[in-house]
Amino acid sequence: MVAELKHEISQNAYIKLVLHALKHKTTAVNGVLLGRVNPQNESVVEIIDSVPLFHSNLALLPPLEIALIMIEEHYGSKGLGIVGYFHANERFDDAELGIVAKNIGDHICRYFPQAAVFLLDNKKLEALPKGKDQSPVMQLYIRDASKNWKLAGPDGGSRLVIKEPAANVVLSDYISSEKWQDVVDFDDHLDDIKMDWLNPELFK
Amino acid sequence: MVSKTEETQLNRLEIQVDNGGGGAWEYLCLARKLKVRRPEKVLKYGLSILNDSKKRSALGPEEWTLYEQVAIAAMDCQCLDVAKDCIKVLRKKFPESKRVGRLEGMLLEAKGLWGEAEKAYSSLLEDNPLDQVIHKRRVAMAKAQGNISAAIEWLNKYLEIFMADHDAWRELAEIYVSLQMYKQAAFCYEELILSQPTVPLYHLAYADVLYTLGGVENLQTAKKYYASTIDLTGGKNTRALLGICLCTSAIGQVSKGRNKEDKESPELQSLAAKALEKDYKERADDKHGLLTCVLRSLKI
Repeated sequence: MVAELKHEISQNAYIKLVLHALKHKTTAVNGVLLGRVNPQNESVVEIIDSVPLFHSNLALLPPLEIALIMIEEHYGSKGLGIVGYFHANERFDDAELGIVAKNIGDHICRYFPQAAVFLLDNKKLEALPKGKDQSPVMQLYIRDASKNWKLAGPDGGSRLVIKEPAANVVLSDYISSEKWQDVVDFDDHLDDIKMDWLNPELFK
Repeated sequence: MVSKTEETQLNRLEIQVDNGGGGAWEYLCLARKLKVRRPEKVLKYGLSILNDSKKRSALGPEEWTLYEQVAIAAMDCQCLDVAKDCIKVLRKKFPESKRVGRLEGMLLEAKGLWGEAEKAYSSLLEDNPLDQVIHKRRVAMAKAQGNISAAIEWLNKYLEIFMADHDAWRELAEIYVSLQMYKQAAFCYEELILSQPTVPLYHLAYADVLYTLGGVENLQTAKKYYASTIDLTGGKNTRALLGICLCTSAIGQVSKGRNKEDKESPELQSLAAKALEKDYKERADDKHGLLTCVLRSLKI
């Protein structure tokens, strides 16, 4: 039997996506996860970086197609590929994975079958400043044998981990200093190409 | 819609107020005029005026407008006590007011008391069936509860009465897009283009929807609307320029070898590609290589 797949996300990739969702509190947002299968351990998908995609009309194809080509090209030269998808719903109390997120997840799976979808967990995000929880404020969705997206069961916590254990502390700091204002996504880039979706200055 | 100049003006004013340079009242007035949603700032600077009796009385009758503005911002920030206090002051001043009744309904919404809010709105509508804001609150309430089909129903009913409300058409279009009901979304954008033919945003959104629908005919129409977007924006719209390239590539793939219908404007895609190349070279040179890859993978 194949060992169950584990997704390990780097602190920066993780924080960037959450800050993006916080910047656009009143709309749904999405992003892609960049990484590779761990060369030493095939049951671990390493997520090294992330790119915030859109904060309006997530279900339109043209911007998405352009973004995916550019992102694949940029990270391909570094030996990384798109290994997953991140989604945050419009409403705070909506914890369902919607049809658009599923479809984009399916598309990514065609090129990277082990791909996962992460959904922002608003309840956990809200509790972040109070608690000492080290687990990510995201829920892990994976495809089952019949290719339906399913929330990873109660053991899901151990299958989605942040590489740096103090990531949530750093994230809390960034939230209180309103760092989310600096996140640039692909929508911003298409509105003004000077805006850099790679966010090179964000963690400096 | 807020124009670029208005937004720059608002941002400049916001920075000025943030840095203690004064102008809070001007900022609040502009935010209200442009109908932008910046609740944290409005709450902070609005309260700083309301809590200072000298500044407050200097506003004259505008004082009450500010109470209303702050009440709404406070609800947006989940500061329900502040909102409650503001509404109480207004109720005391205007005991019979429907406008205050609206705020009270919104406070019920903010508390999640949907049934009571609905009751409050229904009774307000009985007195004034053509109150647009209350009709819109109903749509918003359905959306807030995750009842998207009800939101669509209310919006359609609203649009039967207020056909000229562009923002409502746009809202409906975006809801349809989020449900991947692209044909219905396209219809909304057609309405918008008919009533406001010179707004590039609608041409662009319509083209994006048609491209997403796919099929030779839709792709060809999409290309035309990307072209009109370019026309209306003086060649400055990156999304539309890229759209032309996407459409050309997709039409080529779908109608491979069959018909050579796309003879209307053979130079369009190369012009679009050139404009993109020039723009990226001048303003985003580090991404120029990636743009070239996009164009290459679209075979342009």
